[in-house]
Amino acid sequence: MTNRRARALLVAALVGALVVSATVAVPSADARPAHEIPVSTMPEADLSTPSAPDWSRVPAADVPLASAPSGVPNAGDTSIDRVHVQAARSGEQFHVRLQWSDPTRNVTAGSPRAFPDAAAIQFPVDTSSRPPIAMGGRDNRVNVWYWAGNGATQELLAGGAGSTTTFQSPTVDANATYTNGTWTVVYTRDVTGASENRTTLDDDDRLDVAVAVWNGGNGERAGRKAVSEWHYFPTGEGAEGAPYQTLLWTVAGVAIVAVIGVTAFGVLRTHGGDGGGS
Amino acid sequence: MSTQDDTNINVADGVDHQVAMVMDLNKCIGCQTCTIACKDLWTEGGGTDYMYWNNVETKPGEGYPRGWEESGGGWTDDGSERVAGEIPSREDYGRPWEFNHSEIMYEGSDEPLRPREGAEWGPNWDEDQGAGEYPNSYYFYLPRICNHCTHPSCVEACPRQALYKREEDGIVLVDQERCRGYRYCVEGCPYKKVYYNTVSKKSEKCIFCYPRLEGEGPDGETYAPACAEECPPQLRLVGFLDDEDGPIYKLVEEYEVALPLHPEFRTQPNVYYIPPYAPGQHTEDGESVDVDRIPRGYLRELFGDGVDQALNTIERERQRARQGDDSELMELLQHKNPAKQYRLGVFDDD
Repeated sequence: MTNRRARALLVAALVGALVVSATVAVPSADARPAHEIPVSTMPEADLSTPSAPDWSRVPAADVPLASAPSGVPNAGDTSIDRVHVQAARSGEQFHVRLQWSDPTRNVTAGSPRAFPDAAAIQFPVDTSSRPPIAMGGRDNRVNVWYWAGNGATQELLAGGAGSTTTFQSPTVDANATYTNGTWTVVYTRDVTGASENRTTLDDDDRLDVAVAVWNGGNGERAGRKAVSEWHYFPTGEGAEGAPYQTLLWTVAGVAIVAVIGVTAFGVLRTHGGDGGGS
Repeated sequence: MSTQDDTNINVADGVDHQVAMVMDLNKCIGCQTCTIACKDLWTEGGGTDYMYWNNVETKPGEGYPRGWEESGGGWTDDGSERVAGEIPSREDYGRPWEFNHSEIMYEGSDEPLRPREGAEWGPNWDEDQGAGEYPNSYYFYLPRICNHCTHPSCVEACPRQALYKREEDGIVLVDQERCRGYRYCVEGCPYKKVYYNTVSKKSEKCIFCYPRLEGEGPDGETYAPACAEECPPQLRLVGFLDDEDGPIYKLVEEYEVALPLHPEFRTQPNVYYIPPYAPGQHTEDGESVDVDRIPRGYLRELFGDGVDQALNTIERERQRARQGDDSELMELLQHKNPAKQYRLGVFDDD
């Protein structure tokens, strides 16, 4: 084997190794699809409070927010533009933690002009299809977990803007803290807590989810709110990542290795021929 | 809006008849009996302390809540779009004052009874202040309830349709089950007659005493709203705008002497006012001169351009009565009102 041939094989092997390692390593981190919010499974973790240390082990998604389209006055005047979302299953409980920056802490609705800060998570009632983003639709309703800074935690059902209805007995609990200009809210529900008009959390591989945040100090309430697009929790068996994505990367990696191999082989043959003729 | 088959009165779409009230401002003595009658009945519970579904304010004056006439709400000139409004502050409504009762009653203090602090504004803070210079100063009282408008901007403002006009009589109500306390109705009403309950976290307003109209009391009898029945000078007529045999129809539609407050808000109020008819100005020597004491321009600001014709009509009919001629209008405006002051059962058989 000549030096040239050895060098070409080494390069090919290095490139191949790079591609393979990237294929294996990437899906759990940056290459996550844009609208996926990871869900960790942590059977023994305590995640029911906003400041529980175990939350540091749960990966977060940075979800952008924009003013919701709405007919209420000043609907475009909202002030929160992103929220960190974490989700995890511990035992039989499903937890979602929202974190966002809000320099004013508004926790009362006790005077005519006072509105509390608030946040909500929206799921389809029927997880097999994606409802209209603005509070669902008449035939495709949404189940909403609502928390407000004045202590109100509600579970809601809606089938379109203005149709929000409160469940008499909420199955969702919410805990919140406000430190250093940041709200942290943890919602907790039993995974098996589904019932009529309540979302089944582990029915499909994907659970669609959208988030809304209100800054009460800015007069935000009702349709005047900052909202995300539809995202999803990968909640199926392969909950650590989207299987199709790994498959795509593997196919791409094999193809690249093959191309490099063929190229290297061609180069070697060309150089080998030259050498033989000299 | 639609025109009912049996009348030429416009009532709102989907509404059979429209309750209405006429208040004769020339009779109001500012005693606040109406205010207290209403408060005793409806706004004594938690979270309602600052509310006066019925209030009586002095005009000219800031009113209740302070500056409500400049707080926005209502509709644009062509009535097609809502005008942005503001929610009044707690201070604009007026906070309850803390008095030094305990010092005087239990601690032997001999200081006068007075608010401890913060007594800087409240409902009727500017009572009887009015405007103008002696000897031609002037003021009058303006009792106000919800106008139960034909084109209510509070109803339109609610993103949840929690406010609605009752089909049978056009009374505007807040469905407490649907209300989520967003307060778009509070800011959307240009008269600021929808209030936010700080305890129930829902909005509330004048209900035109509908349980009294429906005979829900212990004796099963029908009564007019408490603010009207309890009024010592009996300045209010209550009935239906589309009751053509009633005094309200005659005063509003035939004689056109009962006028809505701030018609430029375009909500089409169903509370109407007989404008105040003050004596002319005096010279410093006490001589009467033919100049309006209450500037006509100010009355136009409140009641629209119809005020000139209304006052002219009243003056003409007064002259007739003085000369001994019959005047139906003057009789309607007196307590011997032959068309009855309260006509509430006229459509019961519909």
